[in-house]
Amino acid sequence: MLEHLLPPLNDHNLPWMDTIHPIVVHFVIAMALITVVFDFIGAVTGRRSLFEVGWWNLLFATAAIFVAIIFGQVEAGLANPYGASREILNIHSTIGWSLAGILSVLTGWRYVLRSQDPLNLPLAFLGADALLAGLVFLQVYLGDKLIWIYGLHTVKVVSAMREGLL
Amino acid sequence: MISLFISTSLLNSESPIFQISKSLGANELPYSLPIHPNLVHLTIGLFVIAIAFDFAGAFYPLEKRIFRFLALPVTRAGFHDVGWYNLLACGVISFFTVAAGFFEMLTAVPLPGVISTFGLESFATMLWHGVGGVLILFMIVLMTIWRGYQRFAWRKDMGRQVQWIYLFAGVVIMGLLALHGTLGAQLAAEFGVHITADQLLAAGANLKESLP
Repeated sequence: MLEHLLPPLNDHNLPWMDTIHPIVVHFVIAMALITVVFDFIGAVTGRRSLFEVGWWNLLFATAAIFVAIIFGQVEAGLANPYGASREILNIHSTIGWSLAGILSVLTGWRYVLRSQDPLNLPLAFLGADALLAGLVFLQVYLGDKLIWIYGLHTVKVVSAMREGLL
Repeated sequence: MISLFISTSLLNSESPIFQISKSLGANELPYSLPIHPNLVHLTIGLFVIAIAFDFAGAFYPLEKRIFRFLALPVTRAGFHDVGWYNLLACGVISFFTVAAGFFEMLTAVPLPGVISTFGLESFATMLWHGVGGVLILFMIVLMTIWRGYQRFAWRKDMGRQVQWIYLFAGVVIMGLLALHGTLGAQLAAEFGVHITADQLLAAGANLKESLP
């Protein structure tokens, strides 16, 4: 169905110039991790205005992950993974969707906490922050493998694929 | 004459990368995943969102009703806090982004014979991306200092914490970042720099055996 909706595929096996998913994930990775950093600095130093900065970054990370998933799914569908990268892409997709749920729940929880007292952040939320950072690191590690080890959507790998070498 | 001189020079056998070639993997790095592209997520994400939130703070009077409709308590100072702290974090982290980029550029072995989508060869692409990266770091540092002066001195008591010209400069730098990032993406996806599969294929390896 997609081929009727999108322009023809180029030498990256993409309907657009280059992969878009890695660009959108800038905003998930940076905003989620900086939320955790600012929450911890705010809790340790007592600089409570940082909690507000953490909240806005968290909200933005949550909005961005849905866009990241949309492009991620289209580009994964066109990636033609081979060898062990098939399994890595499966896990990366599963964690990606899970992260969308986790980020949404954390943002909802944070909204309630912020409405009650914007200058206070319970220890439980800092624990959730740490878990979030861990999952983001794992997800980045898997995504890194797909591009930097297996070269999915790179011109060299796509041309080898089209020659039937993979 | 000049091209003759280069082709007979010591370039190939005595290139300094050979001094450390034993510690490099198939991806021409001493580790499996490059560091620079990961730090880039932070540099770009933090810069863009910093500017975006200063825009939100600047246009606050227009947005007030929307946030009231959404029952979302918002302060203008909160938006400008994001604009300042995110940029500050960007300024600090970007030194590491550029440092990692320089190390990884030193060991880069672009695939031969490739011309990028921009019509550039690998050396020109690395030159633009390397020197341009230092210039962008310089701009980010200047923006951070400028932002600090606005926050703590010039516009300390004003609702709108940033000058319009600052926001304009932010948009221009975002455009440069997009262009610059595309050059970096081309170094990976087109020139195969530090990508294990691309380097193995270029060396004539069979990926079914060497990268199962």
